[in-house]
Amino acid sequence: MDYIAECETLKNKALEQLETVADDITLAAFFAEFLAKKGSISSLMNHMREIAPTDKAAFGAAVNGARKIVDEAYQEKKAAIEAKKLDQKLAAEAIDITLPGRKEPIGKKNPYYEVIDEVTSIFLTMGYEVAEGRDVETDLFNFELLNVPKDHPSRDMQDTFYIEGDDDLLLRTQTSAAQAHAMLEKNPKGPIKLICPGKAYRRDDDDMTHSHQFAQIEGLVIDKNISMAHLKATLELFAKKMFGEKREIRLRSSYFPFTEPSVEVDVSCFNCGGKGCAMCKGTGWIEILGAGMVNPKVLKACGYDPDEWTGFAFGVGVERVAMLRYGIDDIRRFYANDIRFLEPFAGK
Amino acid sequence: MKVSFKYLAKHVDLSEITPEELAAKLTFAGAEVEEVSPFAQGTNLVIGRILSCNPHPDSDHLHVLQVDEGPEFGVHQIVCGAPNAREGLKVIVARNGAKLPGGEIKPSRIRGVESDGMCCSLLELGVDKKYLSEAQCGGIEELPSDAPVGCVDVLGYLGLDDVALDLSILPNRPDLYSFENVCREVSCLLEKPFIGDDLKSQSLTAASFVVGSQTDKCPIFTARVIRGVQTKESPLWMKRMHENCGIRSINNIVDIGNYIMLLTGQPLNMYDLDKLPVPELIVRDDLNEDFLAMDGNRYALEKGDLVVTSGGKPMCLAGVMTADACRVDENTKNIVVEAAYFDGASIRHTSNRIGLSSDSSLRFCKGINPDQMEYVQAKTSESLAAFAGANSIAETVRYDVFAHADRVIETSFSYINGRLGTQFQPEEILRALKRDYLITDVSGDKLSVRVPSYRIDMDGQADITEEVIRILGLDHIKSELPSTRLSVAGLTEKQRKKNDVRRMLRGLGLNEVLTYTLVPEASTLSFRYLSNAKPYRLKNPLTVDRAFVRASLLPSVLESAAFNVARQNKDFGLFEVSDIDARGVQTRYLAGVLVGNRKAQGRIGEKPFDFYDAKGLLENVFEVLEIKPNRYSLVPWTLGGDEMHPGRSAEIRIGKKLVGYLGELHPNALKRFGLKTAVVFEIDFDEVCNVKTGNPKATIPARFPSVSRDLAILLEEKVDYQSLKKEIQKSSALIADVQAFDVYQGKGIPEGKKSLALSLTLSSADHTLKDAEISEAVSKAIQSIKIKFGAEIRGE
Repeated sequence: MDYIAECETLKNKALEQLETVADDITLAAFFAEFLAKKGSISSLMNHMREIAPTDKAAFGAAVNGARKIVDEAYQEKKAAIEAKKLDQKLAAEAIDITLPGRKEPIGKKNPYYEVIDEVTSIFLTMGYEVAEGRDVETDLFNFELLNVPKDHPSRDMQDTFYIEGDDDLLLRTQTSAAQAHAMLEKNPKGPIKLICPGKAYRRDDDDMTHSHQFAQIEGLVIDKNISMAHLKATLELFAKKMFGEKREIRLRSSYFPFTEPSVEVDVSCFNCGGKGCAMCKGTGWIEILGAGMVNPKVLKACGYDPDEWTGFAFGVGVERVAMLRYGIDDIRRFYANDIRFLEPFAGK
Repeated sequence: MKVSFKYLAKHVDLSEITPEELAAKLTFAGAEVEEVSPFAQGTNLVIGRILSCNPHPDSDHLHVLQVDEGPEFGVHQIVCGAPNAREGLKVIVARNGAKLPGGEIKPSRIRGVESDGMCCSLLELGVDKKYLSEAQCGGIEELPSDAPVGCVDVLGYLGLDDVALDLSILPNRPDLYSFENVCREVSCLLEKPFIGDDLKSQSLTAASFVVGSQTDKCPIFTARVIRGVQTKESPLWMKRMHENCGIRSINNIVDIGNYIMLLTGQPLNMYDLDKLPVPELIVRDDLNEDFLAMDGNRYALEKGDLVVTSGGKPMCLAGVMTADACRVDENTKNIVVEAAYFDGASIRHTSNRIGLSSDSSLRFCKGINPDQMEYVQAKTSESLAAFAGANSIAETVRYDVFAHADRVIETSFSYINGRLGTQFQPEEILRALKRDYLITDVSGDKLSVRVPSYRIDMDGQADITEEVIRILGLDHIKSELPSTRLSVAGLTEKQRKKNDVRRMLRGLGLNEVLTYTLVPEASTLSFRYLSNAKPYRLKNPLTVDRAFVRASLLPSVLESAAFNVARQNKDFGLFEVSDIDARGVQTRYLAGVLVGNRKAQGRIGEKPFDFYDAKGLLENVFEVLEIKPNRYSLVPWTLGGDEMHPGRSAEIRIGKKLVGYLGELHPNALKRFGLKTAVVFEIDFDEVCNVKTGNPKATIPARFPSVSRDLAILLEEKVDYQSLKKEIQKSSALIADVQAFDVYQGKGIPEGKKSLALSLTLSSADHTLKDAEISEAVSKAIQSIKIKFGAEIRGE
């Protein structure tokens, strides 16, 4: 049985030699030497003729056994070499992941729109509609129906832009004009819940805090038994959503022709939390909007019976809110649109 | 309006409240106090007398003074630079530690000489320069020879111990342009009584003077003839009250007029009786002549101006200014005092027209109390007797057609509480109204409220509600959300579409800008492709640059682009959606500008924005609006002009209607805006949103595989892709899609030709295509474009 011993020796030699194989070339040489048809393991079969018939089966099994073991080791080695080669290839393909991504830079949103969109969405969730109104209004809707009769001081030429060639047309001085439209155009008369964000115009010289064009968001609620308590709760909710959960509001007596009683609404300072800082001029409060109960004269003029219906209205200055919120120093920046100024306001 | 705290304190007990606390109370009740400003300031002051005045050994202008500061403080040495320092002069001394507006006084050595204290001018105590003479500003204050040396209440002695509260008076409270009514307001807020001045009974002579009015814009005119007055300086307290309230003291007669106006809110006018043509004053509004006013200027009177006349001649532009002819001067002996009611709108009109306004015209404009003329006349007479030597006072002559009436407002406790959302008890409400000088009459829930004559703002139950909450405090209002009714809310479809498009355009890299509606005339003439409606022009613009309401949006957005380019911002896109109002047009436009390069991977692979970037954006806009490509068409520019590049612009049409345009700017337009490149677009957004869109229909994906074949063709430059594509699609039903994947002109391509590489997708809904079918379809396509456009197949 020398041949079986030789077979064992050859197998061991092959496995030993496989250990030293490290690349494709030596692997191919190894295959040729041991596993190819004319390789040394296959060549063992040439001895078959010399084996006694009773031993042929044992000899054949030994050769095949040896080949199987060597072949398995070979396959394993081959896979390892391929894996290593792939790793090397991938390593060579590495890129600089710090170069910029391929994208459309997202456009920015003038903070003016951000405030309008945010306030609108707050009131939409409270079930309000959005009215829009027009920039060019009639005297009737901008003044007359809102209890600003013809000889009222606020109608003086210095406040309002009038349209040439048409005594009745002007640029609206307040989004409150939308109130009158909503009430007058509601038929049959029923409850109203709306906000009107929009542009307004006054004959003011432009400076850091004044602008001949500005935006307001007007709110109007009309229903039966609406009281000032409803107004206060609504504005409180708005202040918390807009300026943070911890905000409180306080009311100060004031005057607007279209509301009575009228109030100025202060919100506790969102910069210092009410302790007093430069933003709130040390008072802890920031004046944020004007509001009041819809004047019965306005209700009447717009076709609502003031004995049956009551309502409240409020108006927020858009740029003022944006200036306070984002620390904007000059109202003219909104209208200049320097994209470096817009940069922080990633459009939502 | 500035109110004297001293006056208030004399009539309402303010011993327990500081001016600042009072200011806060008034502010919360609706009379905002904008500023609390002391007339003068200074601690550690004393009246002293200069015992000796010697030149400073080391200075040519300083003096070394020995000043007697009275028994309590003794004599101190003070170095003083005032030219009027001299022996025997009584002066104000700011002692060691005195705090003055300019700082604290400390003992010091001035050029080697000890100085303990400072002799002051009124300027150094913070008195405004405009109330001081040149001498007072240039040296130390010279006190009268009888000034009490050692007196420490120097500000009190000089009448400078007042504080002005600067009230911002709201349009509904014109009554507060009167100290007396501010006293009533303070008395109401503090719940302390208002103690008015006693008015002594006067012995009056019979009147022989005539007054009247020929216009309903002057329903009340009263006058008193007062004789024997002498013009002189006003008493110190009166001067100081004027100065504290920002009014310069002139002489006793003028000052008394202002004083009564400050107290009562009623403007007065004084005429020199002896200069009137006839002893009568008649108000007219039909004069049409020149008027020489007491300021020396001539004003042209117009019909409608209220004028007080005598013998047909204008003596006063009512409520605005007296004529030079009858002004009160230093020689005046006998005067006529006018207290009248002039229509506010009329006074405002005149005062605006001629550009003159005064404290009087302001009060008429805001509205005055029609029911106190006799009181005002009596009070004026009293002052003229006391401070101007008046020795004969005639009774008031009066023209009065005013509908004087008691105002009684009917309301109820339940109305008040219901409107406020409060639960005030009737007693609380009644007490508040009583504090406010409103007289009430109760019957069950019902309440009648009699309004005092000066509260001309009150005419309905909402006003009563306001008074109640103003006085009792707005902090009584609790928070209660309104109960909700079922209502359809949310955005309208148009509003939603606008937001969708805005959001998408920002997502595609464009910045959303905000520009002014008002533009110069030139802007209303540019980029007017979408409508030719006449723009609105302002009647009263502030500047020519903002004189028109814009009728197109693109020029504004281009201005913003140019502004950015001038600030080294290079590559960007801007857009705006804005309402457009012009005669006969109410719509909304969307305009955008692309400048510089489109970024790819940062600047790597960047490429100048061109027509196709704008086209792609607009295709996206239409897609978001669910408007299919077959609903609109882009056609070559036919609109001419030198604003849009004629070969690189397109009109967007829906049917035949022009709804928008896009393209590169014409070089001339680039130059006008100061830009180097710009691709722009503008669409009538409202019009586009009006396109009716249905629900999308589902497409069933093909069951059988499609195949694609590429073609490289050479054709005339002017053949457009769209026509070629249409022709190919028409040639065979199997051709499902045609896509261009390369366009090339230049080297290797003959002049006037272009090379186009197309990919054809072929498919069938019911079977897998065979080679023969594919070849046939492709040949048909080739054949059709060869015939129609003379296309050559490259490599054939």
